[in-house]
Amino acid sequence: MNENESGPGGACMKRRAFLFRSGAAAVSTVVLPALPGMGGEALAAEMARYPRKKIGRLSVLKLDAPVIFNYPDSGPSSQSVLVKLGVPAGGGIGPGEDVVAFNSQCTHMGAPMAGNYQAGYQVLGPCAFHQTLFDLTRHGMVIAGHATESLPQVLLELKGDDIFAVGLIGLIYGRHDNLVSKA
Amino acid sequence: MSAKDSSPLYRPQDKVPLPPANAEVFTTCCDYCVVACGMKVYRWPAGGPHGGPKKSQNALKKDYPLPPLAGGWIGPNQVTQATYRGKLYNIAVVADPDAKAVNIGGTHSIRGGCIAQKVYNPRSPTRDRLQNPMVRVNDILMPVSWDFALDIAAEVSKHVLANHGEDAWAMKYYSYQFFENTYAATKLALKSIGTPAIAEHDHPSRVDAAPGWTDIGYDIFGAAYEDFALADCILLSGTDPYESKTTLWEHWFLEGVNAHKTKLIFVNPRRTTGVAYAEKNGGLHLDVYPGSDTPVHMAIMRVILENGWEDGEFIKNWTNNFWETDSGFGRGTRNTPWQWRTTWGMFQTNGFEDWKKWLLSQEESKPEVAARIAGIDPKKIVLAAEMLAKPKPNGERIKTTICMEKGNYWSNNYLNTVSIGDLGVILGCGGRPGQAITRLGGHQRGGSSAAPYPMMKSPYKVPGRRRLEIDLDRWVESGHVRYAQVIGTTWIQSMAGSSALQDAFKRYTKLNAHQVRTLDKNGIVETLKKRVDSGGMVVVNQEIYLRDPIGAQYADIVLPAATWGEEDFVRANGERRVRLYSKFYDAPGEALPDWKIIALLAQKMGFEGYDWKDSNEVFEESCRFSRGSRIDHNAIRVIARRKGMRAHDLLRTYGTTGLQAPLLIDGERIVETKRLHDYQRKDIPDTGPEGMTIHNKRLLAFNSHTGKLNLLKSPWRHWADFYGFMQPKGEELWVTSGRINELWQSGFDDERRPYVRQRWPANFLEIHPEDAKARGIESGDWVAVESDRVPVQTGMNLGVKDGELWFDGLMKRGHIKLASGQFTAVAVVTPAIKQGVTFTNFLEMNSPANSIVPRVPDPITQNYRFKLARASVRRIGESPYKREFARMSFKRRDLV
Repeated sequence: MNENESGPGGACMKRRAFLFRSGAAAVSTVVLPALPGMGGEALAAEMARYPRKKIGRLSVLKLDAPVIFNYPDSGPSSQSVLVKLGVPAGGGIGPGEDVVAFNSQCTHMGAPMAGNYQAGYQVLGPCAFHQTLFDLTRHGMVIAGHATESLPQVLLELKGDDIFAVGLIGLIYGRHDNLVSKA
Repeated sequence: MSAKDSSPLYRPQDKVPLPPANAEVFTTCCDYCVVACGMKVYRWPAGGPHGGPKKSQNALKKDYPLPPLAGGWIGPNQVTQATYRGKLYNIAVVADPDAKAVNIGGTHSIRGGCIAQKVYNPRSPTRDRLQNPMVRVNDILMPVSWDFALDIAAEVSKHVLANHGEDAWAMKYYSYQFFENTYAATKLALKSIGTPAIAEHDHPSRVDAAPGWTDIGYDIFGAAYEDFALADCILLSGTDPYESKTTLWEHWFLEGVNAHKTKLIFVNPRRTTGVAYAEKNGGLHLDVYPGSDTPVHMAIMRVILENGWEDGEFIKNWTNNFWETDSGFGRGTRNTPWQWRTTWGMFQTNGFEDWKKWLLSQEESKPEVAARIAGIDPKKIVLAAEMLAKPKPNGERIKTTICMEKGNYWSNNYLNTVSIGDLGVILGCGGRPGQAITRLGGHQRGGSSAAPYPMMKSPYKVPGRRRLEIDLDRWVESGHVRYAQVIGTTWIQSMAGSSALQDAFKRYTKLNAHQVRTLDKNGIVETLKKRVDSGGMVVVNQEIYLRDPIGAQYADIVLPAATWGEEDFVRANGERRVRLYSKFYDAPGEALPDWKIIALLAQKMGFEGYDWKDSNEVFEESCRFSRGSRIDHNAIRVIARRKGMRAHDLLRTYGTTGLQAPLLIDGERIVETKRLHDYQRKDIPDTGPEGMTIHNKRLLAFNSHTGKLNLLKSPWRHWADFYGFMQPKGEELWVTSGRINELWQSGFDDERRPYVRQRWPANFLEIHPEDAKARGIESGDWVAVESDRVPVQTGMNLGVKDGELWFDGLMKRGHIKLASGQFTAVAVVTPAIKQGVTFTNFLEMNSPANSIVPRVPDPITQNYRFKLARASVRRIGESPYKREFARMSFKRRDLV
């Protein structure tokens, strides 16, 4: 993670500008091809309150090279990672079903982990605070550690080459509502 | 499988209600591991109004979103709903963000962090909590009234006592539970009935888990948690606090490593997450074979002695010299464990020089020999000795702390605890900041005893003068138990050789001819009396869930218990901190706290002294029985009474900080104890040794007759026969077991938490890649783990001559039968486990690791060697978890 570009307290203007240019804040009601096991339309309805944000392009994603973005807003704890894992993953999109995205705050005590991706292992962590590890192939499940939630998984939609974030499964650390970013 | 078929098993909400500013707040502690993190409970009406994100709008008084490390985040697993006095409430349970002790700043484990999901909520998987007493009729457990169930239990109990004697009336109960409950249970079993047929949940007998330390003179929970942050070097044997004592790791160990550069030396066949982190931070991993610790300890000591790195001043001041040992002052009196253990001259020495001479004469203390036995690089032994003992360049001694758990003392109980205790002595461990020697503990410390164990009634005798406590498993198997009260333990799966034990239960209950086929109370009593008179057994089970098989298959009567959060209770943690666990909701259905169930049964049996009105009355009665113990908390009762308060209410005012025992009284003040053996301590009140509190000598010295420590021998030959039998042969692998961070005990709560269940939907077996490859096993495959050579000690054993009760002696006399045992597991192939060794969860109800564990207790100490099994491991197919994304992870846990 480049600290100058984006931190746990929110994205800097440059990145935020990029995200907004990419079509943030539009409400999506599309059927979600990424997680049909979760009951397509019902899930779509559940996710209807989330913004639809373009967060990247499939063709430029490199294996094991996470891209940091902010979702569902640019407020505290919004920092997330988009990563091409190289192996199929739960909720993965793309031809290899290997492109996933997660909110990257540790769900134990909130340490930013966007810089802690373990290339080759498909693992986020260890958390710098208390060494929790998360499995990105399995919906952000805890591998070992103390977090009481899986990493919130950002639901993705692929339209042509464009990758959109369209919702979240799970609650972001520190928030009481994913869509409330300030008191 | 395609990602298209994937859906996480656990799908939490993406928003939670916040407690409003006027929510009621209760303090409690986590119910699980020994650390017992302080927790806060918020309760407000289910219909709201809820709190808002501004600090003025919520009970946590925090602005949301919370920043990192804020503590007190309420996620989906921290909220539930529960009923209190007929009204539905929202409940939030969080690690106390204001905690001043233990989990300072509100850190927590995955287990305690999810404890809100333990709360009974009929809309959650907790809906199958037991709610009514039940009696088995025509093999169906039918709901009945309390009086109906307890009349039967009382009548059968009285019949058993009158016709078969008190040692036919058995109790198997938890020692981890709250003082109120353990006090009531022991009052009935030990005081009113006086049975010697009693055992706690984790032992076959009421015995000491770390007897080597006891004989040396060390208390087993002498440290303060701050010692782990103050030490220069810590030896952790047979445990990893990351995995099983989480907040010790998160707060205290990490503070040491990060702030004071504490070096951690782990002794463990697994490279756990904690081990990997330690190695990255200058620590060391001694990856020993199970049960091989003693030679490693001895070799480390040899290196220390040969270099003169021992703490000479401490040894001079605090170990028994020739005269003290020889005249008996250091040894103890007749008919104590100490007396028996020393009768044959196997262990005692005449002071430091004598012990040193013995140690240096032992083949096993040579680093290369020890390293060969343990399967490690001998260089690691030398390095460990340097890290533990080599003085700093300026000549200063380094502060060394030693801690251990079951990988150590439940593989080779007596010799391991003696030899690691000796290491503590020569390093000067005990009583000084950062220089502790302690167990880390497993469960919390809620054991209270209303009366001593009636040793003279135990028929077990060993060579010399000494009796042993009844081995309750063997006592059951031998057909001596006619009535068993089983309280809060699975008994069968949690004991060794569990397949053979299960056979015994089945034989005496289900397969007995006398089965209840009527709902007429007298008819039921008559049938059960016939059962016990015919040699059968009646089982009564107090539980919160129906457990299989003890409750589901063998119990004739099942009684629903109330638990954590459903009653005010008191318990201590691993640094002897005593705290109140508040009631904040009503137990489901007709469930009653265990103390109340026992009181009702005792009264029906005609015993007096059970008319407690509430748990506070039980607590107040129990307090005086703690006097002189490491968790002496009688001061709470005394001071509360002086203040005109209930003892529970006084303790409640101390919140999640509680009071650190032993507690002493100075005028009107309660004086706490930070660490035991604190010989530099100055604040012992001048009120004399006896009275409302007892000033045990372990406050200011060590726990022997002289107050000094005994250096003991740990001769390997007394272990070699059993170890030789247990070592893997041919294709067999070591199978050792332990806790895995994400699960607690038998999983009684975890199996009802989808969040945890997705991680561990089934038992697992960690296996080294080379061992897996040789067997065609991949991660995600089902494997069968099986042995047909599980040794089970049988019959009543009277030892007369030396050696008769050692393993070879038992074999020769026909007291060892070989049983079969097996379990299944999902393979996790990982280089984190030592080659030749496998590791599994210690208590998965439907695939119990203990089925292959030898049911031959340590002949000196009656401890099972749970961590020492070997078996064949073979692939039996592919599990669904191998290719799905919703459940189980096979990623490495040691990526740091």
